[in-house]
Amino acid sequence: MNTQGTLLPAAVPLAAETVVRKQRPLFAIAFAMAVFSTAIALLANAFWLSALTSAMALSLSVAGVAVLYGQLGLVSLCQFALVGVGGWVTLRIGHGFQPPFEVSLLAGGVVAALIGLLFGVPALRLRGLYLALVTLMLAGAFQIVISAWGFPDGGPGFLGRADGVGRSMLARPALATEAIPYFLYCAFIATLGLILVQAHKITRPGRAWALIRKGETVAIASGVNVLAYKAWAFALSGFLAGIAGGLLAGNVGQLEGRAFSAFESLNLFALATVGGAFHWYGAVIAGLLLRALPALLTDLGIDGYVTIGIFGVALFHALATAPTGIAGKIANLLARFTKGGER
Amino acid sequence: MIEIETLSVRFGGIKPIDQLTAMLSAPVSGLIGPNGAGKTTLLNVLSGFVRPVEGAIKLDGRSLLALSPLQRVRAGLRRSFQTEQVVEDLTTRDNLAALADNVASVGERSRTTDRALEFVGLGSVAHRLGARLNLFERRLVELGKCLIGTPRLILLDEPAAGLTDEEGARLRDLVLAIPDAFGAQVVVIDHDVELIRAMCAETLVLDYGKRLALGNTETVLADPAVRRAYLGEL
Repeated sequence: MNTQGTLLPAAVPLAAETVVRKQRPLFAIAFAMAVFSTAIALLANAFWLSALTSAMALSLSVAGVAVLYGQLGLVSLCQFALVGVGGWVTLRIGHGFQPPFEVSLLAGGVVAALIGLLFGVPALRLRGLYLALVTLMLAGAFQIVISAWGFPDGGPGFLGRADGVGRSMLARPALATEAIPYFLYCAFIATLGLILVQAHKITRPGRAWALIRKGETVAIASGVNVLAYKAWAFALSGFLAGIAGGLLAGNVGQLEGRAFSAFESLNLFALATVGGAFHWYGAVIAGLLLRALPALLTDLGIDGYVTIGIFGVALFHALATAPTGIAGKIANLLARFTKGGER
Repeated sequence: MIEIETLSVRFGGIKPIDQLTAMLSAPVSGLIGPNGAGKTTLLNVLSGFVRPVEGAIKLDGRSLLALSPLQRVRAGLRRSFQTEQVVEDLTTRDNLAALADNVASVGERSRTTDRALEFVGLGSVAHRLGARLNLFERRLVELGKCLIGTPRLILLDEPAAGLTDEEGARLRDLVLAIPDAFGAQVVVIDHDVELIRAMCAETLVLDYGKRLALGNTETVLADPAVRRAYLGEL
Protein backbone atom coordinates (compact mmCIF):
# COMPACT_ATOMS: atom_id res chain seq x y z
CA MET A 1 0.00 0.00 0.00
CA ASN A 2 1.74 3.15 -1.12
CA THR A 3 -0.42 5.39 0.99
CA GLN A 4 1.00 4.21 4.26
CA GLY A 5 3.05 6.75 6.11
CA THR A 6 2.91 9.29 3.35
CA LEU A 7 1.57 12.21 5.28
CA LEU A 8 1.63 15.46 3.45
CA PRO A 9 4.44 17.78 4.53
CA ALA A 10 2.54 21.02 3.93
CA ALA A 11 -0.98 21.80 2.89
CA VAL A 12 -0.63 25.19 1.25
CA PRO A 13 1.47 24.30 -1.86
CA LEU A 14 -1.07 21.63 -2.70
CA ALA A 15 -3.85 24.19 -2.98
CA ALA A 16 -1.76 26.56 -5.12
CA GLU A 17 -0.75 23.73 -7.43
CA THR A 18 -4.40 22.78 -7.79
CA VAL A 19 -5.30 26.21 -9.12
CA VAL A 20 -2.63 25.98 -11.85
CA ARG A 21 -3.66 22.46 -12.83
CA LYS A 22 -7.28 23.46 -13.08
CA GLN A 23 -6.86 26.46 -15.34
CA ARG A 24 -4.73 24.64 -17.89
CA PRO A 25 -7.70 23.16 -19.84
CA LEU A 26 -9.31 26.62 -20.10
CA PHE A 27 -6.21 28.01 -21.85
CA ALA A 28 -6.06 24.88 -23.98
CA ILE A 29 -9.60 25.51 -25.26
CA ALA A 30 -8.83 29.15 -26.14
CA PHE A 31 -5.59 28.17 -27.90
CA ALA A 32 -6.98 25.21 -29.86
CA MET A 33 -10.06 27.13 -30.97
CA ALA A 34 -7.96 30.13 -32.04
CA VAL A 35 -5.69 27.95 -34.20
CA PHE A 36 -8.60 25.98 -35.65
CA SER A 37 -10.75 28.96 -36.57
CA THR A 38 -7.83 30.96 -38.00
CA ALA A 39 -6.98 28.03 -40.26
CA ILE A 40 -10.58 27.81 -41.49
CA ALA A 41 -10.85 31.58 -42.02
CA LEU A 42 -7.73 31.45 -44.20
CA LEU A 43 -8.61 28.33 -46.20
CA ALA A 44 -12.38 27.99 -46.57
CA ASN A 45 -14.48 29.25 -49.49
CA ALA A 46 -17.90 30.87 -49.11
CA PHE A 47 -19.81 27.55 -49.21
CA TRP A 48 -17.65 25.97 -46.53
CA LEU A 49 -17.54 29.11 -44.44
CA SER A 50 -21.32 29.13 -44.11
CA ALA A 51 -21.43 25.42 -43.20
CA LEU A 52 -18.62 25.81 -40.66
CA THR A 53 -20.27 28.89 -39.13
CA SER A 54 -23.35 26.76 -38.50
CA ALA A 55 -21.11 23.99 -37.15
CA MET A 56 -19.53 26.41 -34.67
CA ALA A 57 -22.96 27.60 -33.54
CA LEU A 58 -24.29 24.07 -33.14
CA SER A 59 -21.24 22.93 -31.16
CA LEU A 60 -22.55 25.25 -28.44
CA SER A 61 -25.88 23.47 -28.30
CA VAL A 62 -24.04 20.12 -28.22
CA ALA A 63 -21.95 21.41 -25.33
CA GLY A 64 -25.23 22.04 -23.53
CA VAL A 65 -26.61 18.57 -24.11
CA ALA A 66 -23.22 17.17 -23.07
CA VAL A 67 -23.56 18.93 -19.71
CA LEU A 68 -26.80 17.06 -19.07
CA TYR A 69 -25.63 13.71 -20.43
CA GLY A 70 -21.93 13.72 -19.56
CA GLN A 71 -22.20 15.42 -16.19
CA LEU A 72 -25.59 14.27 -14.89
CA GLY A 73 -26.33 11.19 -16.98
CA LEU A 74 -29.64 12.73 -18.14
CA VAL A 75 -30.87 12.15 -21.69
CA SER A 76 -32.56 15.25 -23.06
CA LEU A 77 -34.02 14.94 -26.56
CA CYS A 78 -35.37 18.46 -26.95
CA GLN A 79 -32.15 20.40 -27.39
CA PHE A 80 -32.79 21.40 -31.00
CA ALA A 81 -36.19 22.75 -29.98
CA LEU A 82 -34.34 25.05 -27.57
CA VAL A 83 -32.06 26.09 -30.42
CA GLY A 84 -35.27 27.04 -32.18
CA VAL A 85 -36.53 28.99 -29.17
CA GLY A 86 -33.27 30.96 -29.07
CA GLY A 87 -33.48 31.60 -32.80
CA TRP A 88 -37.09 32.72 -32.62
CA VAL A 89 -36.46 35.16 -29.77
CA THR A 90 -33.31 36.55 -31.42
CA LEU A 91 -35.24 37.19 -34.65
CA ARG A 92 -38.27 38.57 -32.81
CA ILE A 93 -36.22 41.03 -30.74
CA GLY A 94 -33.94 41.84 -33.66
CA HIS A 95 -36.78 42.68 -36.07
CA GLY A 96 -38.99 44.27 -33.44
CA PHE A 97 -36.56 46.65 -31.77
CA GLN A 98 -33.40 46.63 -33.95
CA PRO A 99 -31.03 46.59 -30.97
CA PRO A 100 -27.35 45.62 -31.38
CA PHE A 101 -27.12 41.94 -32.43
CA GLU A 102 -25.60 40.99 -29.07
CA VAL A 103 -28.73 42.16 -27.23
CA SER A 104 -31.03 40.00 -29.40
CA LEU A 105 -28.61 37.08 -29.04
CA LEU A 106 -28.46 37.37 -25.27
CA ALA A 107 -32.26 37.62 -25.09
CA GLY A 108 -32.46 34.40 -27.14
CA GLY A 109 -30.07 32.70 -24.72
CA VAL A 110 -31.92 33.86 -21.63
CA VAL A 111 -35.39 32.88 -22.88
CA ALA A 112 -34.10 29.47 -24.03
CA ALA A 113 -32.53 29.02 -20.58
CA LEU A 114 -35.93 29.68 -18.96
CA ILE A 115 -37.72 27.31 -21.35
CA GLY A 116 -34.92 24.77 -20.81
CA LEU A 117 -35.50 25.05 -17.09
CA LEU A 118 -39.20 24.41 -17.69
CA PHE A 119 -38.43 21.43 -19.93
CA GLY A 120 -36.15 20.18 -17.14
CA VAL A 121 -38.97 19.98 -14.61
CA PRO A 122 -39.81 16.35 -15.55
CA ALA A 123 -36.17 15.47 -14.90
CA LEU A 124 -36.66 16.19 -11.22
CA ARG A 125 -38.69 12.98 -11.07
CA LEU A 126 -37.77 11.05 -14.23
CA ARG A 127 -34.57 9.50 -15.51
CA GLY A 128 -33.43 7.27 -18.34
CA LEU A 129 -35.96 6.15 -20.93
CA TYR A 130 -38.89 8.05 -19.41
CA LEU A 131 -37.08 11.37 -19.40
CA ALA A 132 -35.96 10.70 -22.97
CA LEU A 133 -39.56 10.07 -24.03
CA VAL A 134 -40.97 13.14 -22.28
CA THR A 135 -38.30 15.44 -23.72
CA LEU A 136 -38.81 13.96 -27.18
CA MET A 137 -42.51 14.76 -26.89
CA LEU A 138 -41.61 18.33 -25.93
CA ALA A 139 -39.48 18.50 -29.07
CA GLY A 140 -42.51 17.23 -31.02
CA ALA A 141 -44.70 19.89 -29.44
CA PHE A 142 -42.21 22.57 -30.47
CA GLN A 143 -42.18 21.16 -34.00
CA ILE A 144 -45.96 21.66 -34.21
CA VAL A 145 -45.87 25.17 -32.77
CA ILE A 146 -43.01 26.36 -34.98
CA SER A 147 -44.50 24.94 -38.16
CA ALA A 148 -47.70 26.86 -37.38
CA TRP A 149 -46.02 30.08 -36.31
CA GLY A 150 -42.87 30.10 -38.43
CA PHE A 151 -39.94 32.33 -37.56
CA PRO A 152 -40.28 36.13 -37.44
CA ASP A 153 -39.12 37.77 -40.66
CA GLY A 154 -39.85 41.42 -40.13
CA GLY A 155 -43.66 41.37 -40.23
CA PRO A 156 -46.05 43.03 -37.77
CA GLY A 157 -47.57 41.69 -34.56
CA PHE A 158 -46.33 39.21 -32.00
CA LEU A 159 -45.49 36.50 -34.52
CA GLY A 160 -43.73 38.97 -36.81
CA ARG A 161 -44.64 37.18 -40.03
CA ALA A 162 -44.45 39.09 -43.28
CA ASP A 163 -46.42 36.99 -45.72
CA GLY A 164 -44.58 37.02 -49.02
CA VAL A 165 -43.90 40.74 -49.38
CA GLY A 166 -41.71 42.80 -47.10
CA ARG A 167 -39.67 39.91 -45.72
CA SER A 168 -36.45 41.13 -44.24
CA MET A 169 -33.25 39.55 -43.01
CA LEU A 170 -31.82 39.89 -39.52
CA ALA A 171 -28.77 42.13 -39.61
CA ARG A 172 -25.51 40.57 -38.50
CA PRO A 173 -23.50 42.20 -35.71
CA ALA A 174 -21.97 45.51 -36.73
CA LEU A 175 -18.42 44.29 -36.35
CA ALA A 176 -18.94 41.11 -38.37
CA THR A 177 -21.18 41.71 -41.36
CA GLU A 178 -19.08 39.74 -43.87
CA ALA A 179 -18.75 35.94 -43.99
CA ILE A 180 -15.22 35.57 -42.59
CA PRO A 181 -15.65 38.04 -39.69
CA TYR A 182 -19.02 36.44 -38.85
CA PHE A 183 -17.42 33.00 -38.80
CA LEU A 184 -14.72 34.27 -36.44
CA TYR A 185 -17.44 35.98 -34.37
CA CYS A 186 -19.29 32.65 -34.00
CA ALA A 187 -16.04 30.82 -33.25
CA PHE A 188 -15.25 33.38 -30.56
CA ILE A 189 -18.66 33.00 -28.90
CA ALA A 190 -18.45 29.21 -29.19
CA THR A 191 -15.05 29.37 -27.45
CA LEU A 192 -16.53 31.48 -24.65
CA GLY A 193 -19.35 28.96 -24.28
CA LEU A 194 -17.00 25.97 -24.21
CA ILE A 195 -14.84 27.72 -21.61
CA LEU A 196 -17.95 28.49 -19.56
CA VAL A 197 -18.92 24.80 -19.57
CA GLN A 198 -15.38 23.65 -18.77
CA ALA A 199 -15.16 26.16 -15.92
CA HIS A 200 -18.35 24.65 -14.52
CA LYS A 201 -16.97 21.12 -14.83
CA ILE A 202 -13.78 21.77 -12.89
CA THR A 203 -15.29 23.79 -10.08
CA ARG A 204 -18.10 23.52 -7.57
CA PRO A 205 -21.01 22.76 -9.96
CA GLY A 206 -18.99 20.02 -11.69
CA ARG A 207 -18.25 18.33 -8.39
CA ALA A 208 -21.89 18.55 -7.32
CA TRP A 209 -23.04 17.15 -10.69
CA ALA A 210 -20.57 14.29 -10.37
CA LEU A 211 -22.05 13.39 -6.98
CA ILE A 212 -25.61 13.56 -8.35
CA ARG A 213 -24.59 11.26 -11.20
CA LYS A 214 -23.17 8.85 -8.62
CA GLY A 215 -26.50 8.77 -6.83
CA GLU A 216 -28.87 11.30 -5.33
CA THR A 217 -28.57 9.77 -1.86
CA VAL A 218 -24.81 10.14 -2.01
CA ALA A 219 -25.18 13.73 -3.21
CA ILE A 220 -27.58 14.65 -0.41
CA ALA A 221 -25.35 12.97 2.18
CA SER A 222 -22.56 15.19 0.86
CA GLY A 223 -24.67 18.30 1.41
CA VAL A 224 -25.47 18.91 -2.28
CA ASN A 225 -28.72 20.74 -3.06
CA VAL A 226 -29.76 18.30 -5.81
CA LEU A 227 -32.71 20.35 -7.06
CA ALA A 228 -30.72 23.56 -7.47
CA TYR A 229 -27.80 21.94 -9.27
CA LYS A 230 -30.04 19.98 -11.66
CA ALA A 231 -32.02 23.12 -12.43
CA TRP A 232 -28.79 25.03 -13.04
CA ALA A 233 -27.62 22.37 -15.50
CA PHE A 234 -30.87 22.60 -17.48
CA ALA A 235 -30.72 26.39 -17.52
CA LEU A 236 -27.10 26.38 -18.68
CA SER A 237 -27.85 23.80 -21.35
CA GLY A 238 -30.83 25.83 -22.57
CA PHE A 239 -28.80 29.04 -22.57
CA LEU A 240 -26.15 27.49 -24.81
CA ALA A 241 -28.83 26.13 -27.15
CA GLY A 242 -30.45 29.55 -27.31
CA ILE A 243 -27.18 31.27 -28.17
CA ALA A 244 -26.62 28.64 -30.87
CA GLY A 245 -30.06 29.44 -32.31
CA GLY A 246 -29.32 33.16 -32.34
CA LEU A 247 -26.01 32.62 -34.13
CA LEU A 248 -27.73 30.41 -36.71
CA ALA A 249 -30.30 33.14 -37.30
CA GLY A 250 -27.48 35.63 -37.83
CA ASN A 251 -25.70 33.33 -40.28
CA VAL A 252 -28.39 33.36 -42.96
CA GLY A 253 -30.50 36.22 -41.62
CA GLN A 254 -33.60 34.02 -41.26
CA LEU A 255 -34.68 30.59 -40.05
CA GLU A 256 -36.94 27.97 -41.58
CA GLY A 257 -39.56 26.29 -39.37
CA ARG A 258 -39.19 22.97 -41.18
CA ALA A 259 -35.55 22.72 -40.05
CA PHE A 260 -36.62 22.38 -36.42
CA SER A 261 -38.33 19.00 -36.34
CA ALA A 262 -38.10 16.63 -33.38
CA PHE A 263 -35.81 14.48 -35.51
CA GLU A 264 -33.16 17.20 -35.34
CA SER A 265 -33.13 16.95 -31.55
CA LEU A 266 -32.67 13.19 -31.77
CA ASN A 267 -29.91 13.67 -34.29
CA LEU A 268 -28.20 16.25 -32.12
CA PHE A 269 -28.19 13.96 -29.11
CA ALA A 270 -26.95 11.01 -31.17
CA LEU A 271 -24.06 13.06 -32.53
CA ALA A 272 -23.23 14.44 -29.10
CA THR A 273 -22.66 10.80 -28.14
CA VAL A 274 -20.64 10.10 -31.27
CA GLY A 275 -18.53 13.25 -30.85
CA GLY A 276 -18.04 12.61 -27.16
CA ALA A 277 -20.03 14.06 -24.27
CA PHE A 278 -17.16 13.94 -21.80
CA HIS A 279 -14.59 16.21 -23.48
CA TRP A 280 -14.95 19.81 -24.60
CA TYR A 281 -13.79 19.09 -28.16
CA GLY A 282 -16.46 16.39 -28.46
CA ALA A 283 -18.93 19.26 -28.92
CA VAL A 284 -16.83 20.77 -31.72
CA ILE A 285 -16.56 17.38 -33.43
CA ALA A 286 -20.32 16.87 -33.14
CA GLY A 287 -20.92 20.35 -34.56
CA LEU A 288 -18.73 19.50 -37.55
CA LEU A 289 -20.51 16.18 -38.05
CA LEU A 290 -23.89 17.94 -37.97
CA ARG A 291 -23.04 20.61 -40.54
CA ALA A 292 -19.66 20.01 -42.17
CA LEU A 293 -20.23 16.36 -43.09
CA PRO A 294 -23.46 17.04 -45.03
CA ALA A 295 -21.63 19.95 -46.71
CA LEU A 296 -18.80 17.63 -47.68
CA LEU A 297 -21.22 15.14 -49.21
CA THR A 298 -23.00 17.90 -51.12
CA ASP A 299 -19.61 19.11 -52.32
CA LEU A 300 -18.91 15.58 -53.59
CA GLY A 301 -22.31 15.42 -55.27
CA ILE A 302 -23.78 12.86 -52.86
CA ASP A 303 -27.30 13.32 -51.48
CA GLY A 304 -27.17 14.97 -48.04
CA TYR A 305 -29.63 12.43 -46.66
CA VAL A 306 -26.89 9.79 -46.85
CA THR A 307 -25.57 11.42 -43.67
CA ILE A 308 -28.50 9.97 -41.73
CA GLY A 309 -27.27 6.48 -42.58
CA ILE A 310 -23.71 7.39 -41.74
CA PHE A 311 -24.82 8.85 -38.41
CA GLY A 312 -26.73 5.66 -37.63
CA VAL A 313 -23.66 3.54 -38.17
CA ALA A 314 -21.49 5.99 -36.20
CA LEU A 315 -23.95 5.94 -33.32
CA PHE A 316 -24.00 2.15 -33.29
CA HIS A 317 -20.22 2.14 -33.29
CA ALA A 318 -20.07 4.66 -30.43
CA LEU A 319 -22.60 2.80 -28.29
CA ALA A 320 -20.99 -0.57 -28.91
CA THR A 321 -17.29 0.22 -28.63
CA ALA A 322 -16.63 3.85 -27.75
CA PRO A 323 -18.99 5.23 -25.11
CA THR A 324 -16.77 8.30 -24.70
CA GLY A 325 -17.06 9.02 -28.43
CA ILE A 326 -14.48 10.25 -30.88
CA ALA A 327 -13.25 12.80 -28.33
CA GLY A 328 -12.63 9.98 -25.84
CA LYS A 329 -10.52 8.15 -28.44
CA ILE A 330 -8.52 11.31 -29.08
CA ALA A 331 -8.06 11.86 -25.35
CA ASN A 332 -6.70 8.33 -24.96
CA LEU A 333 -4.33 8.90 -27.84
CA LEU A 334 -3.13 12.20 -26.38
CA ALA A 335 -2.67 10.57 -22.98
CA ARG A 336 -0.40 7.98 -24.57
CA PHE A 337 1.84 10.72 -25.99
CA THR A 338 1.95 12.73 -22.80
CA LYS A 339 2.61 9.55 -20.80
CA GLY A 340 -0.75 9.90 -19.08
CA GLY A 341 1.00 11.11 -15.93
CA GLU A 342 -1.06 10.81 -12.81
CA ARG A 343 -4.32 11.04 -14.66
CA MET B 1 -24.03 12.10 22.45
CA ILE B 2 -26.93 10.45 20.64
CA GLU B 3 -30.18 9.84 22.53
CA ILE B 4 -32.72 7.60 20.82
CA GLU B 5 -36.17 7.39 22.39
CA THR B 6 -38.88 4.83 21.55
CA LEU B 7 -37.97 4.97 17.88
CA SER B 8 -40.07 2.91 15.42
CA VAL B 9 -39.82 2.60 11.64
CA ARG B 10 -42.47 0.87 9.56
CA PHE B 11 -42.19 -0.36 5.96
CA GLY B 12 -45.67 -1.70 5.16
CA GLY B 13 -46.24 -4.54 7.58
CA ILE B 14 -42.61 -4.79 8.68
CA LYS B 15 -41.06 -2.89 11.56
CA PRO B 16 -37.30 -2.86 10.92
CA ILE B 17 -36.91 -0.73 14.05
CA ASP B 18 -39.30 -1.36 16.89
CA GLN B 19 -39.52 0.81 20.02
CA LEU B 20 -35.76 1.36 20.19
CA THR B 21 -34.40 3.36 23.11
CA ALA B 22 -30.65 3.79 23.48
CA MET B 23 -28.02 6.33 24.40
CA LEU B 24 -24.59 6.30 22.79
CA SER B 25 -21.98 8.49 24.43
CA ALA B 26 -18.58 6.84 23.82
CA PRO B 27 -16.23 8.66 21.41
CA VAL B 28 -16.36 5.59 19.15
CA SER B 29 -19.41 3.32 19.48
CA GLY B 30 -20.26 0.12 17.67
CA LEU B 31 -23.54 -0.99 16.14
CA ILE B 32 -23.83 -4.69 15.38
CA GLY B 33 -26.50 -7.25 14.74
CA PRO B 34 -27.37 -10.07 12.34
CA ASN B 35 -28.53 -9.35 8.78
CA GLY B 36 -31.88 -7.57 8.81
CA ALA B 37 -31.49 -6.40 12.40
CA GLY B 38 -32.15 -2.78 11.39
CA LYS B 39 -28.59 -1.41 11.51
CA THR B 40 -28.62 0.32 8.14
CA THR B 41 -32.22 1.44 8.69
CA LEU B 42 -31.15 3.12 11.92
CA LEU B 43 -28.32 4.78 10.05
CA ASN B 44 -30.78 5.98 7.40
CA VAL B 45 -33.05 7.38 10.10
CA LEU B 46 -30.11 9.23 11.64
CA SER B 47 -29.09 10.70 8.28
CA GLY B 48 -32.68 11.56 7.38
CA PHE B 49 -33.38 9.24 4.44
CA VAL B 50 -35.97 7.23 6.37
CA ARG B 51 -38.73 8.86 8.46
CA PRO B 52 -39.69 7.07 11.66
CA VAL B 53 -43.36 6.67 12.58
CA GLU B 54 -42.66 7.51 16.20
CA GLY B 55 -39.90 8.40 18.59
CA ALA B 56 -37.25 11.07 18.97
CA ILE B 57 -33.52 11.42 18.37
CA LYS B 58 -31.29 14.03 19.93
CA LEU B 59 -27.72 14.79 18.92
CA ASP B 60 -25.91 16.67 21.70
CA GLY B 61 -29.29 17.70 23.09
CA ARG B 62 -30.61 19.02 19.76
CA SER B 63 -33.56 17.30 18.11
CA LEU B 64 -32.51 15.72 14.83
CA LEU B 65 -35.78 14.55 13.28
CA ALA B 66 -37.00 18.10 12.56
CA LEU B 67 -34.04 18.66 10.22
CA SER B 68 -33.96 17.73 6.53
CA PRO B 69 -31.10 15.46 5.35
CA LEU B 70 -29.29 18.51 3.96
CA GLN B 71 -29.70 20.46 7.18
CA ARG B 72 -28.27 17.51 9.10
CA VAL B 73 -25.19 17.45 6.89
CA ARG B 74 -24.73 21.15 7.49
CA ALA B 75 -25.21 20.58 11.22
CA GLY B 76 -22.23 18.21 11.20
CA LEU B 77 -23.66 14.79 10.39
CA ARG B 78 -21.46 12.71 8.09
CA ARG B 79 -21.88 9.19 6.78
CA SER B 80 -20.14 6.67 4.61
CA PHE B 81 -21.90 3.99 2.58
CA GLN B 82 -21.52 0.20 2.59
CA THR B 83 -20.34 0.30 -1.00
CA GLU B 84 -17.78 3.05 -1.45
CA GLN B 85 -19.03 6.00 -3.48
CA VAL B 86 -15.84 7.51 -4.86
CA VAL B 87 -16.51 9.48 -8.06
CA GLU B 88 -14.37 7.95 -10.80
CA ASP B 89 -13.68 11.07 -12.84
CA LEU B 90 -12.89 13.40 -9.98
CA THR B 91 -9.47 13.46 -8.36
CA THR B 92 -9.03 12.35 -4.77
CA ARG B 93 -8.87 15.97 -3.70
CA ASP B 94 -11.98 16.92 -5.68
CA ASN B 95 -13.87 14.01 -4.16
CA LEU B 96 -13.26 15.64 -0.78
CA ALA B 97 -13.70 19.17 -2.08
CA ALA B 98 -17.17 18.20 -3.38
CA LEU B 99 -18.24 18.02 0.26
CA ALA B 100 -16.30 21.09 1.37
CA ASP B 101 -18.19 23.11 -1.29
CA ASN B 102 -21.40 22.58 0.63
CA VAL B 103 -20.43 22.45 4.29
CA ALA B 104 -17.55 24.89 4.73
CA SER B 105 -17.31 28.65 4.28
CA VAL B 106 -15.47 29.86 1.16
CA GLY B 107 -12.23 30.68 2.98
CA GLU B 108 -12.23 27.38 4.85
CA ARG B 109 -12.77 24.96 1.95
CA SER B 110 -9.20 24.51 0.83
CA ARG B 111 -7.88 24.24 4.36
CA THR B 112 -10.43 21.67 5.57
CA THR B 113 -9.93 19.57 2.40
CA ASP B 114 -6.16 19.50 2.82
CA ARG B 115 -6.45 18.72 6.50
CA ALA B 116 -8.69 15.71 5.84
CA LEU B 117 -6.38 14.53 3.02
CA GLU B 118 -3.41 14.79 5.32
CA PHE B 119 -5.17 13.03 8.18
CA VAL B 120 -6.12 9.96 6.12
CA GLY B 121 -2.73 9.99 4.38
CA LEU B 122 -3.87 10.49 0.79
CA GLY B 123 -1.74 13.56 0.11
CA SER B 124 0.48 11.67 -2.33
CA VAL B 125 -2.48 10.67 -4.51
CA ALA B 126 -4.38 13.97 -4.18
CA HIS B 127 -4.41 14.54 -7.96
CA ARG B 128 -5.05 10.97 -9.00
CA LEU B 129 -8.46 10.24 -10.53
CA GLY B 130 -10.92 8.23 -8.46
CA ALA B 131 -10.95 5.53 -11.15
CA ARG B 132 -7.28 4.83 -10.45
CA LEU B 133 -7.53 4.41 -6.68
CA ASN B 134 -7.37 0.98 -5.10
CA LEU B 135 -9.99 -0.25 -2.64
CA PHE B 136 -8.07 0.84 0.45
CA GLU B 137 -7.52 4.30 -0.97
CA ARG B 138 -11.22 4.46 -1.83
CA ARG B 139 -12.14 3.56 1.73
CA LEU B 140 -9.79 6.28 2.94
CA VAL B 141 -11.45 8.81 0.59
CA GLU B 142 -14.80 7.86 2.14
CA LEU B 143 -13.37 8.37 5.60
CA GLY B 144 -11.75 11.65 4.54
CA LYS B 145 -15.08 12.97 3.24
CA CYS B 146 -16.56 12.44 6.70
CA LEU B 147 -13.91 14.76 8.18
CA ILE B 148 -14.66 17.80 6.03
CA GLY B 149 -15.95 20.92 7.74
CA THR B 150 -16.99 20.59 11.38
CA PRO B 151 -18.17 17.00 11.78
CA ARG B 152 -20.09 16.26 14.99
CA LEU B 153 -21.41 12.76 14.33
CA ILE B 154 -19.77 10.38 11.84
CA LEU B 155 -21.63 7.22 10.83
CA LEU B 156 -19.45 4.58 9.17
CA ASP B 157 -21.29 1.74 7.45
CA GLU B 158 -18.89 -1.20 7.20
CA PRO B 159 -15.85 1.02 6.65
CA ALA B 160 -13.43 -1.90 6.50
CA ALA B 161 -15.37 -4.21 4.18
CA GLY B 162 -13.04 -5.96 1.77
CA LEU B 163 -9.82 -4.73 3.38
CA THR B 164 -6.87 -6.91 4.40
CA ASP B 165 -6.03 -7.24 8.10
CA GLU B 166 -3.17 -4.80 7.74
CA GLU B 167 -5.33 -2.22 5.98
CA GLY B 168 -8.13 -2.77 8.49
CA ALA B 169 -5.69 -2.09 11.33
CA ARG B 170 -4.55 1.15 9.71
CA LEU B 171 -8.17 2.23 9.21
CA ARG B 172 -8.92 1.36 12.83
CA ASP B 173 -6.06 3.58 14.04
CA LEU B 174 -7.38 6.45 11.96
CA VAL B 175 -10.95 6.06 13.24
CA LEU B 176 -9.72 5.93 16.84
CA ALA B 177 -7.86 9.20 16.32
CA ILE B 178 -10.91 11.05 14.93
CA PRO B 179 -12.67 12.07 18.20
CA ASP B 180 -9.57 13.83 19.57
CA ALA B 181 -8.48 15.35 16.26
CA PHE B 182 -11.89 16.53 15.04
CA GLY B 183 -14.11 16.56 18.14
CA ALA B 184 -16.67 14.29 16.47
CA GLN B 185 -18.45 11.23 17.80
CA VAL B 186 -18.12 8.12 15.64
CA VAL B 187 -20.57 5.23 15.23
CA VAL B 188 -19.29 2.18 13.37
CA ILE B 189 -21.43 -0.55 11.82
CA ASP B 190 -19.49 -3.66 10.95
CA HIS B 191 -19.84 -7.41 10.78
CA ASP B 192 -16.24 -7.85 11.89
CA VAL B 193 -16.59 -8.38 15.63
CA GLU B 194 -12.82 -8.16 16.12
CA LEU B 195 -12.79 -4.74 14.48
CA ILE B 196 -15.65 -3.56 16.71
CA ARG B 197 -13.88 -4.99 19.76
CA ALA B 198 -10.69 -3.14 18.86
CA MET B 199 -12.35 0.17 18.05
CA CYS B 200 -15.45 0.70 20.14
CA ALA B 201 -15.66 1.40 23.87
CA GLU B 202 -19.41 0.76 23.83
CA THR B 203 -21.61 -1.26 21.52
CA LEU B 204 -25.32 -1.45 20.72
CA VAL B 205 -26.60 -4.81 19.51
CA LEU B 206 -29.81 -4.89 17.47
CA ASP B 207 -31.92 -7.92 16.69
CA TYR B 208 -35.23 -7.71 14.77
CA GLY B 209 -35.22 -3.96 15.26
CA LYS B 210 -35.06 -4.21 19.02
CA ARG B 211 -32.24 -3.47 21.40
CA LEU B 212 -30.65 -6.75 22.43
CA ALA B 213 -27.79 -5.30 24.44
CA LEU B 214 -26.02 -2.00 25.05
CA GLY B 215 -22.94 -1.15 27.07
CA ASN B 216 -19.25 -1.85 27.40
CA THR B 217 -18.17 -3.74 24.29
CA GLU B 218 -16.48 -6.61 26.11
CA THR B 219 -19.45 -7.10 28.41
CA VAL B 220 -21.91 -6.94 25.52
CA LEU B 221 -19.97 -9.42 23.40
CA ALA B 222 -19.82 -11.83 26.34
CA ASP B 223 -23.60 -11.64 26.88
CA PRO B 224 -25.13 -15.09 26.21
CA ALA B 225 -28.13 -13.57 24.42
CA VAL B 226 -25.82 -11.70 22.03
CA ARG B 227 -23.73 -14.78 21.40
CA ARG B 228 -26.86 -16.75 20.60
CA ALA B 229 -28.40 -14.18 18.25
CA TYR B 230 -25.33 -12.89 16.56
CA LEU B 231 -22.30 -15.07 17.00
CA GLY B 232 -24.19 -18.28 16.41
CA GLU B 233 -23.24 -19.97 19.68
CA LEU B 234 -25.74 -21.87 21.78
